[in-house]
Amino acid sequence: MKIRAVQFSPRLGDVPANLATHRHHVEEASRAGVELVVFPELAISGYHLMDLAEELALTPMSPEFAELASLSKATALITGAPFEATPGRITNSALCFADGELRHRHDKVQLPNFGMFQETMIFAPGTSFRTFLLGGFRIGILVCREILFPIFPYLYSLQRADLVVAISNSPHRGLGPEGFASTGLWETMGTTCSLFFCQHFLFVNRTGFEEGLGFPGGSFFARAGQGIETRAPQLDEATIDVELSLDEVRRARLAGNYLRDENPELALREIQRILHERDR
Amino acid sequence: MNEIDSATVTAVLTRFIADAVAKTGHRGAILGVSGGLDSAVVLALAARALGPAGVTALLLPYRMSAPESARHGRNLCQQLGVECHEIDISPQIDAYFARFPAEPRMLLGNKCARERMSILYDHSVRRQALVIGTSNKSELLVGYSTLFGDSAAAIQPIGDLYKTQVFSLALHLGIPAEIIAKQPSADLWPGQTDEGELGITYRELDEILFQLVDRRLSPAQVVALLDLPAERVARVRQRIVRSQYKRTMPPVAKLSNRTVGLDFRYLRDLAR
Repeated sequence: MKIRAVQFSPRLGDVPANLATHRHHVEEASRAGVELVVFPELAISGYHLMDLAEELALTPMSPEFAELASLSKATALITGAPFEATPGRITNSALCFADGELRHRHDKVQLPNFGMFQETMIFAPGTSFRTFLLGGFRIGILVCREILFPIFPYLYSLQRADLVVAISNSPHRGLGPEGFASTGLWETMGTTCSLFFCQHFLFVNRTGFEEGLGFPGGSFFARAGQGIETRAPQLDEATIDVELSLDEVRRARLAGNYLRDENPELALREIQRILHERDR
Repeated sequence: MNEIDSATVTAVLTRFIADAVAKTGHRGAILGVSGGLDSAVVLALAARALGPAGVTALLLPYRMSAPESARHGRNLCQQLGVECHEIDISPQIDAYFARFPAEPRMLLGNKCARERMSILYDHSVRRQALVIGTSNKSELLVGYSTLFGDSAAAIQPIGDLYKTQVFSLALHLGIPAEIIAKQPSADLWPGQTDEGELGITYRELDEILFQLVDRRLSPAQVVALLDLPAERVARVRQRIVRSQYKRTMPPVAKLSNRTVGLDFRYLRDLAR
C-alpha cells in the first residue's frame, strides 16, 4: 500500500481553506498512485478551538462531510475534525473516508486537560479502540495523546492491526540543549509499536502556530519490526511517502514471536485482580 | 539552569514572527531598539524572519539615556541592514514633568516607557508594521516592566527565554560584543543597572526562577538545592506573586451568560 502523510499548518477556524488544502493533496496523491492520504489531527479546523468548536463541528449532513466523502472516491483519506454525531456532543474525531463514504471514525478517548491543554472543556471523550479494513490492511487510529499510553496501540495489536495511524497536534515544549523534549516522546512510542507490537506506525503531526503555541511537525514512519525509517522535517510543511506490505508485518511477528507468546487472558485476569485489591 | 539549543530556538522564533506578521495582515515589523541585549536579539530575529527590509527600528532616547546606547543601536541596525529612525522623546517628557514633577524617580521611567509605546503604536499604523515586544521571561516573571509601557506589544518572541538564555542566543545570532558585554540596564538615568535595581544578579535570579517555575520546586526545596538564604528565594517568589496583574488582561465583571475574557473564548489569531 502506498501512503502519503501531509504535514501542514491548518488555518484556525478557516474550514474552506483547510478543505481546499485537503482537496489539493488528495487529487495530487491520486495522480501519483497513492492509496491513502493522512492529514493531522483537527486538520479541518485548527487546534485551539475553544468556542469555535460548536460553530465548526462537522456532522454527517455537513457539505464538508460530503466533500470529503466525494474526494475519497479517488484516494482514501484520514483526517481530523470536530465532529457532532449526536447534536450537542462534540468529539475530537479522526475520520477515514474511502470509496466515497465514511469507512471508520475514531473519537479521541484521551483528551488532555492540564497545563496548556483544555480539551475536556470542548470535547466529549470517545469510548472504544476499534480497527477497520482498508486495502487488505487492518488499521487502528490513535489521536495525539493516546499514543503515549502503550495500552492503546496494544489494544490494536490484540486486534491484529497491521498499521497504526497516529494523527497529532502536538505543540513543542521542554526546550533544552538538544532541542525540544516533546519530539522524543512520539518517536519512542513509534519505535516501541514497530518493534514490539510488530505494527507499521505512521505519525502525522501539524506545523505552524496558534498564538504562542508552535507545532513542530516531525512526522515519521516506523516500519513493522524495523523502527523509524522516514522522517519529515521539523517546523516546515512537507509530505512523506511510504510503501508498506503485509508480508513485512508477518516477518516482524515471526522474528520476535511476541504475538505468539503473549497471554492477554492472563493479563486481563491480573488487571482485574490488581484493580480489585488496589481499590479495597 | 537549562542550556538551550540556539539553532532550534532561532528556527522557531523566526517562523513565529513571520507567522504573526502574515496572520495579522501587516507589511512588516516595528520595534524599539534601546542599544541593549533584548531588543538587539529581537531585532536580529525579526530581520532574519522578514528580511531587513521588512523591519523598522525606532531609537527613542531620552536626554538622560547613555549616549553609547543610541550608538550601539545604530551600529546594530547598520550591521543588519535595517531601516532605523531616531526620535528624541525628551521634549514631550520634559513638557509633561514641567507640570507634574517626577517624584519618585520611577515615574520618569514609567512615563518614558509609555511614551515609547505610544510612538511605536503610532508608527505601527503609519507603516502597517506589527509591534514586536522585547520582554524576556525573567522580567515578565518578576514584573520588572512598565504596565502598558515596554510590556505592551503584539507578540513577545523571547518571553519564554530567561535573560541568561537570551545571552546564549545573542552569541549565536552574532550580536556585537559591545552590546553583549555591557551591564543590562533600563537606561533611565546614569549608572542605573537592572541587577542593582532588582537587588540580585540575573544568574542567581534565573536559577531561582527556573527551579520555582519550570521545575515546580517549592521555595524550601530551592533554598536547599541552591544553598541560598531563604529570604532571597522568598523575595523572588513574592515578586512573582505581586506582579501577576501585569501578566493578565484586566478582569471583566461578570453579569451576563457570556462574558468577554471568561466564557467568550477565541484565540486572537483566528484566521477568518
